[in-house]
Amino acid sequence: MTTLAFRGFGFGGRQTLLVQPGPALLDGVVAGPGLADHRRRNGPPRQPGIDELRALVESIGLRGRGGAGFPFATKLGAVADQSGRATVVVNLSEGEPASFKDAALALTAPHLVLDGAAATARALGVRTVHLVVPGDEVAVVNAVRRAVAERRQEDRRTRWRLHIAAGRFVAGQARAVLELMSGRENLPVTAWQPEAVRGYRNRPTLLSNAETYAQVGSLLCRGRDRYTGLGLEDSPGTTLLTLRGDTATPRVVEVPHGTVWGAVLGDEVDRPVLLGGFHGAWVRTGGLADLTVDRATLTAHGLTLGAGVVLPLRPGACPLHRSAAIVDYLAGQSAGRCGPCLNGLPALARTVHELDRGQPSRARAEQLVGLVVRRGACAHPDGTARLVSSLLAAFPEEHLAHAAGHCSFAHVFPGGGPARGSGDTVGARR
Amino acid sequence: VNRQLRVDWPACKARGLCHELLPEAVGLDEWGYPVVTREIDHGLLRAAREAARSCPTLALRLVDKPG
Repeated sequence: MTTLAFRGFGFGGRQTLLVQPGPALLDGVVAGPGLADHRRRNGPPRQPGIDELRALVESIGLRGRGGAGFPFATKLGAVADQSGRATVVVNLSEGEPASFKDAALALTAPHLVLDGAAATARALGVRTVHLVVPGDEVAVVNAVRRAVAERRQEDRRTRWRLHIAAGRFVAGQARAVLELMSGRENLPVTAWQPEAVRGYRNRPTLLSNAETYAQVGSLLCRGRDRYTGLGLEDSPGTTLLTLRGDTATPRVVEVPHGTVWGAVLGDEVDRPVLLGGFHGAWVRTGGLADLTVDRATLTAHGLTLGAGVVLPLRPGACPLHRSAAIVDYLAGQSAGRCGPCLNGLPALARTVHELDRGQPSRARAEQLVGLVVRRGACAHPDGTARLVSSLLAAFPEEHLAHAAGHCSFAHVFPGGGPARGSGDTVGARR
Repeated sequence: VNRQLRVDWPACKARGLCHELLPEAVGLDEWGYPVVTREIDHGLLRAAREAARSCPTLALRLVDKPG
């Protein structure tokens, strides 16, 4: 199986994005992203009316792929039921720095995304589709521009408007995206009502992630039978995952729902895993071994798939130490406009560092989590709190081990000096 | 029907007037930002309206509880 490699991604352009061919969205990866090839493989998409589209996406149980996992049929229905003219927005501006699935779609299957968005817009009776692309990933911006230009001949009805988002974690948050579209600073503001009711220019706004539209595109091009031929009966289809997005070679794969995690991660299924990205939740050592890739299963175990980011902890790395670095980063990504986030995230970062050094700061960490949750214009403090809460839940004893000068994970105690009692004197590998 | 106080977080500048006017329903966190501690029932409605109106940055709103 040929895996495609795209250089110059991520932190300072030092990452090489690998995209592995998959069974549905990523089945044409090798043929290239062109419109002609896409049409040859998938045929033209069916154009349902709004009622039929609602029933179709309801029947496949499609959930949003941007992170929150909200049922798409409910959101689409909320927009359709409003009296005002709708606005359709495709969000390709993934905030999670370890997520590359939307970039992978733009580079390898942009027309599935655009087919899904165009058909949705037409069902809602609107001609303009807004595309929000990440300004710090030039290859993605160019890929989307090329794909839009290719469609001008075929579909003169749909107008595409490109918006370039800032390269900041919170820039992809729903309200920040609407601010950008309105010509204001690309930062989150308070939402008094859901976007589906009052969004862009106070209109009902369907703002969804690029993969969500690609799933709609796949459904309309390939038909319901082929779509439901993959995955589980109550959760048909596939999902995109970004594996090891924090390494030099992040890999995007497409996995049918119900796949066992061992098949996705190999030996790494026995490592602690940060699932859902920097706004996700830690899974204790081996915790994924008996689980499958399926939102319902994961939710039942208190986990989140988020935007599909999967970060296995490297051998010799410590989840406390790793979390301290991540919370530092997240604190730095705060827009600094909401008091609890501006003050609480740096305090939370200091506290996780204290835990890593073995100080008795658990109660303080829990207190700070309570002080930032639901106290901001966007989900950034909530996501950061989720990471810290899951750390305390998945590794409840680890800071006590650190207090005793021992680390259960690292060969070298992150607090300084070799670990006692680890039976291993090999230096920490990074 | 009970209503609730919501804070416009980017607008809030931790002036603390809401807590002074409505200590029954608004506490302050360690940085001086409001912590809404209860819903607004009939008895608190007048004081809650006053608190929302008095906020120097207009960051406090009284809204219906989401259905």
